[in-house]
Amino acid sequence: MDKRGRLIQKIRNIAVQTPTHILEVPEKVEGFGSINYKPESCSACKKCIEACEVEALDIDLMVQLPAYLSAIIPEEGFRSKNRETLISLLQILKGEGDVQAIPVPSGLSGYGSVVWITEKCIACNKCVEACPEDCLDLEKKYDLPTIIGNVVTPPSISITEWEPFVICFVCWECSHAAADLAGLMHLHYPANIRTVRVPCSGAVEPIQIMTAMENGVDGVLVTGCLLSECHYGGDDPLAGNFMQQDFVHFWQSVFKEIGLGGRLHIDFASAAMGIRFAEIVTEFVEQIRKIGPSPLRGKLEVES
Amino acid sequence: MKKLFLCTCNGTLNKLLDFTRIGKEAKAIYDVVEVADNLCLEEGLAELEKGLSGDDRLVIGACSSQIIGVPMKQRIKNDLVAFVPLREQVGWVHLEEGESATNKAIVLLSDAAVQLDYMESQAEFTENMVGRVLVIGGGIAGLKAASDLHRLGVEVTLLEPFKLDKHHYLQTSVFMSDADTLRSEIQEIQKTILDVERIRGEIREVRGQLGSYEVTINGAKDGSMTQEFGAIIIASGNQQSLPSSAKKMRYGKSERVVTLDSLISNSKKKRAKDRSTILVAVDFDAPMSSVEGSHLLRTTRDLAARGNTIIVVYSDIQTEDENLYREARDSGVIFIRGRVTRIKENDKGLSCRIENTLESMQRDVIADRVAIPRLIGPTIETTQIAEKLGVECDDSGFIRTRYSKMKPVQTSRRGIFVAGGAKMPMSLSDAMASAQNAVLEAFKIVRSPLVRSGWIPVIDDEECDVCKACLDACPNDALRLMDDRIVHIPAHCEFCGICVSACPTRAIEFQSHSKESWFARFEAIAATHKRLEGKKPFSLVFACSECANASIDQAGFVGKQYGTGSYVIQFPCAGMVSPIEILKGLVVGANRVIVAHCPPGGCHHQTGDHLSELVVSLTRDMLREIGQNPDRVRATYMMAAMPDKMQKEVPVRG
Repeated sequence: MDKRGRLIQKIRNIAVQTPTHILEVPEKVEGFGSINYKPESCSACKKCIEACEVEALDIDLMVQLPAYLSAIIPEEGFRSKNRETLISLLQILKGEGDVQAIPVPSGLSGYGSVVWITEKCIACNKCVEACPEDCLDLEKKYDLPTIIGNVVTPPSISITEWEPFVICFVCWECSHAAADLAGLMHLHYPANIRTVRVPCSGAVEPIQIMTAMENGVDGVLVTGCLLSECHYGGDDPLAGNFMQQDFVHFWQSVFKEIGLGGRLHIDFASAAMGIRFAEIVTEFVEQIRKIGPSPLRGKLEVES
Repeated sequence: MKKLFLCTCNGTLNKLLDFTRIGKEAKAIYDVVEVADNLCLEEGLAELEKGLSGDDRLVIGACSSQIIGVPMKQRIKNDLVAFVPLREQVGWVHLEEGESATNKAIVLLSDAAVQLDYMESQAEFTENMVGRVLVIGGGIAGLKAASDLHRLGVEVTLLEPFKLDKHHYLQTSVFMSDADTLRSEIQEIQKTILDVERIRGEIREVRGQLGSYEVTINGAKDGSMTQEFGAIIIASGNQQSLPSSAKKMRYGKSERVVTLDSLISNSKKKRAKDRSTILVAVDFDAPMSSVEGSHLLRTTRDLAARGNTIIVVYSDIQTEDENLYREARDSGVIFIRGRVTRIKENDKGLSCRIENTLESMQRDVIADRVAIPRLIGPTIETTQIAEKLGVECDDSGFIRTRYSKMKPVQTSRRGIFVAGGAKMPMSLSDAMASAQNAVLEAFKIVRSPLVRSGWIPVIDDEECDVCKACLDACPNDALRLMDDRIVHIPAHCEFCGICVSACPTRAIEFQSHSKESWFARFEAIAATHKRLEGKKPFSLVFACSECANASIDQAGFVGKQYGTGSYVIQFPCAGMVSPIEILKGLVVGANRVIVAHCPPGGCHHQTGDHLSELVVSLTRDMLREIGQNPDRVRATYMMAAMPDKMQKEVPVRG
């Protein structure tokens, strides 16, 4: 299975409730999105299918009559003139009743439409660029309900004595130094975290966050340099921590949908901010204490 | 100038149609309207020639273009001409409807005037042809083809397979003729091709087109060589194999079970006392060609004539000559329809159980020998060659030809022909004839530069999405993908316009037949009809220019009456019709649209009949879905031999 497939599998593994909302994808988050397809102007040229490297598009030998009949032909018309004529003629002839898509007779070339396989798509935009007819566009929306599908809620757990267990990703540069400083300063913060040092907060991959959750941790904390002070990009909007901030916001919304809301957090502290680091950890552990143990602990218990 | 010439057909047509009214109406849309009494005769043609200048656009309102077209073309240089068959498609088929018939004539003439607006001169091409012909295969058909080409003065290369065993060839080709005739025939031909280039090898790659096929051959001696050929003849023959039932018949287990052919060669040497009972077990499930059938009858007849008792157990025997069957019966051959279900060997011989499927009973027969006729199939080389050359094969792996009656040696690619047994099992005389036929076709190609003219598809690269739908649709390999763009190969084009139907973007338009031209013509027909006939319904018949048009003309010749309000529009091929034209027809107000194509499998462009059926089926599905009556659109076949087809399709008005 490819990386995207593994990630989605992990999200399915940790989901404890069925997602119901289509998510907004934050600005800097790439690789997640939705393809909007307008069958009415499509010439079934398969350029998008050829361009797609993850096989998220396929030809569907159907004539999408509902889209044809509801299409509004722009003033300058479609690039695909024969399609445009066909659609306008069908619209003139439209009688009473509902309309369904119909199959293309086998052996007839030049007709068909494209299907988009939501979970395979990596929103790389290559199909949009390849389309000569302008019938595809990429939308910053992530159709989580379709991808995750129905989730069976795991059995609830009754743990009497429980201490939160939190994985904390710290960046190599500032926040790791901040954690060190907190120690040097003899500051006290809850002993519930285990730090994992990463080169840059931007280097934390979602699959790592999901793996931590999958193994029953109660929360994941990501810390990085102060915003605009990332050692890998500084104040560039594409700097590691700026990027990760958006990504974490995205994953937070995913977590909320799948029943793990509040268990993921990102914050920032410079190498001089030992006190701040201690505060961040204290606040997050308190938050987790309030939410309670990870519902996945029950799942893990049953499995073991 | 737009000129209309009407012909009264020797003063008869004007008795059926109101020429005064037609003339008056036509003057509004044509710059000049002339009426002649006999346009097809010398004086009429002279008058026509006198009345024209070089750049005039012309409509002939007379008889079918099939009649007046030829003499006219010899006299008139103008190539922008449209024909309205007032006689076959109006006057003679609407005898009872004088006024409506006149109206129909006016509608058709107004359509023709619009047609002229969009008409372009036909494209002309001249392409030089490589003079050399490649003949593949060293059997009798290949030798004959090489010999005939050589005699015609054409340069020939005869490519023979690495393994060619003459003795084996003679032995396995006895079904074509008796061995002596075959041997002497081959010897005779061999003498005539001493100067012909002969190489042993196999084809590695073929590129190019009719007139210049670039062939790379892996030779035995010199490694690979590449050479250009104007045409290619495939004569890779066929081979024999044992049927799958042979094992069940104890072939290989018992010495008494042999192939039928081995029996003939052996029995010649034997004396009368060796007379025996032979059971010939024909494979029950494998279809038998008439050549195989004739060979079976001939051999069993001969074996019986030598005093043997022959029992043939068969399911179906076809023969080229019914007399062979009679002769076999007269010689004493016993025919039992059925199958051999079990063979057991004992001291007396072979005990065979026969299930007689005709009488539903079983019978046991003791035979001295069981003979199994071998099945004839294409050689392995044939399959390989077909793949390299990109020609289609039929279900049994033989090379498929385009149109069994009209193009018996033409493969699916232009400039490549098939001779002899590579097409199907053939007798010696048939194989020789097919070789001669292939030679003539190849000769026609290579003897002079190819000059062709016709309306062609014009590709607009800007509009093209390179979706390759046209490549898939083109039955003639006349469109190819080169450097990521679609290129038209005029030498292969048959001017059918099927590619246009497939194009979703309108990147291909057919000269003189643009989408816009169809729309304008339908609108002209609908408007004129409405003005003259009011609310009376009408139908449009999209007829292919080959069979369907001939059938409609023929309806006129035999006077099969049908309803007026039926307007025939000629398409080069019915495969050119797309749902767009059909729907447009309905939108302009036609009650019905009928797409008429050649009979199934008889399309002059191979796939037009089938494709137009698919297009109509899709259109009907769409109509049904949007709440319209799908029966307003139908596809049907018409052919000249069925002049009543129009009457069936348009029995009454609309």
